[in-house]
Amino acid sequence: MKEIIKIENLNKVYDTGAIQVHALRGVNLSVYEGEYVAIMGQSGSGKSTLMNILGCMDRQFSGLYELDGISISEQSENQLSSIRNKKIGFVFQAFQLIPRTSALKNVEIPMIYAGMKREERHERAKRLLEKVGLGERIYHMPNELSGGQKQRVAIARALANSPAIILADEPTGNLDTRASHEIMEFFTELNREGATVIVVTHEEDIAACTKRIIRFQDGQIIQDERVVKEEC
Amino acid sequence: MENIRLAASAIRANKMRSFLTMLGMIIGISSVIAIVSLGDTMRGVVANEYKNVGLGLAYVYINSQNDYYGESELFTQDEADRLKEAMGDSISYVGFNQSTRTDLKAGRRSSTVYVTGLAENPTAMKNPSIIYGRMLNDGDVQKKRHHMVLQKETAVNMFGTENAVGQTVEVKLNDNMEEFLVVGVYQNTDSALMKALQGGSMETVYVPESILVSEDSMMWSLYMIISDVSQMDMMKERIISFLSRTKHVERETIIMSSASEEMGMIDSMLGSLSAVVGAIAAISLVVGGIGIMNIMLVSVTERTREIGIRKALGAKTRDILIQFLVEAAMISAAGGMIGTALGISVVAIGGLAFGITTVVKLQVIVVAVAFSAMVGLGFGLYPARKAAKADPVIALRYE
Repeated sequence: MKEIIKIENLNKVYDTGAIQVHALRGVNLSVYEGEYVAIMGQSGSGKSTLMNILGCMDRQFSGLYELDGISISEQSENQLSSIRNKKIGFVFQAFQLIPRTSALKNVEIPMIYAGMKREERHERAKRLLEKVGLGERIYHMPNELSGGQKQRVAIARALANSPAIILADEPTGNLDTRASHEIMEFFTELNREGATVIVVTHEEDIAACTKRIIRFQDGQIIQDERVVKEEC
Repeated sequence: MENIRLAASAIRANKMRSFLTMLGMIIGISSVIAIVSLGDTMRGVVANEYKNVGLGLAYVYINSQNDYYGESELFTQDEADRLKEAMGDSISYVGFNQSTRTDLKAGRRSSTVYVTGLAENPTAMKNPSIIYGRMLNDGDVQKKRHHMVLQKETAVNMFGTENAVGQTVEVKLNDNMEEFLVVGVYQNTDSALMKALQGGSMETVYVPESILVSEDSMMWSLYMIISDVSQMDMMKERIISFLSRTKHVERETIIMSSASEEMGMIDSMLGSLSAVVGAIAAISLVVGGIGIMNIMLVSVTERTREIGIRKALGAKTRDILIQFLVEAAMISAAGGMIGTALGISVVAIGGLAFGITTVVKLQVIVVAVAFSAMVGLGFGLYPARKAAKADPVIALRYE
């Protein structure tokens, strides 16, 4: 199995001048290709900090983080942009779709920055939206879509450049139970197709859909267990 | 390409705001173009007028050193003839440019006009567009024939018809009524603006100067037409030397000036005037630029989340920078183009109203639009850099 994420002795300190907050304390973590992982913890446990580092949006840390064999702390800001673009598919709690921009255009954005040709990315965006069941709504604006539909657009967008990992930060936090299950089914399906999925959540029943649950507390991993999966 | 499409959609999303932002550029550019073009048009009108008069026109007079004007300062017909003879073909015309305001009479109708005298080779001095009959000729001048060329309006006024050739007119000259035969009628081709500058529509009729000037008349100044304008400086030198020798006066007291010199002076005066006023108008472009910067800063703040999303999805610093720069440049360039169209229309409408051909130089448009795009880029740079430097983690959390 290929090791997609390799973290060794990861430390992160927020220095706000007067006080220093030790957000991550010597975290060690490996995630292999095809895994389906939930990261759980209370707010302030350090899981959001880990999420930002995993998402290559924060390289102010000490220790080692290798994503798909690339050492993140050694990359420039522009190289990180490129890594985020190609290796990571983000799904956020607040959907983070660009307003006044059609679902199709939103899905195209990562492909634009990857330099894909217009017709090609148009076709691919259409196919991805069809895959998440929004083939009929590709020209809808985000404000014309329900929460669940918005998150499905976001998933389509996350898949745009065939990333190495899908990183979902509280993907069901703004959704009702029915839509939450729908979204988790998508992740399960994607994982079944071979995608590496990491979901950050604080809901037990969401975490229960995954195959491995990592619990955080005070910037440390307190539990890392593989679960026998029940049906979601 | 993608950035242009993106900027266009951002501008469309905020139509009213974009338009108001553009307004600064529109007003700035249109006033610069209107003012500079007005200046260029005036220069064109002046140049055209001097071309009508003839750039070879020159005049000379002698300053008295003791406020007494006598034989050595004034000119007679004989001296004028001698000068012409001495200069040969280099001078095509020498005369006194005598003109007097007087009454014409025909039957019971009368009219007040300028009666202007023309010497030998009259068409060198004035070459009006004759619509009936003929222009005065050398024979008329040499034989002191009482012949006259009327302006079209005068002919209509006096005889009720444009074709007044063959009619007789009485002219009051030196308290005598003298009779003239109309040999031609001409049409005044001056522009409306030129007529206005000349102070109303006083009509001019032409007669042989030999009738207005007697053998013993002493005149203040000599008017001449230099055949080859490029030889103007050399001819001035020759004429001053000749007059100094023949009239026994100091060279310094002889004042000679030419139409080409005057035109150069007026032209450079108008040129610097329109440059100065244009520069003042250009200040409004800077104000327009500040407006763009202001709105771009608001836009960057409003779209912090969008910037965060884009960065998270792989936009590089440069991508965001270019996106906002293109947007600023497009707003100002669009404003520049609308302003150009407006400026040209203002100039064209003004030209139509005054009946003159207006001049809008391509350079002016190119410089104005380029300047507006530069203003857009310049003032868009700070907001765009601010956007590009946003930290995606913080920007994504922005509400």
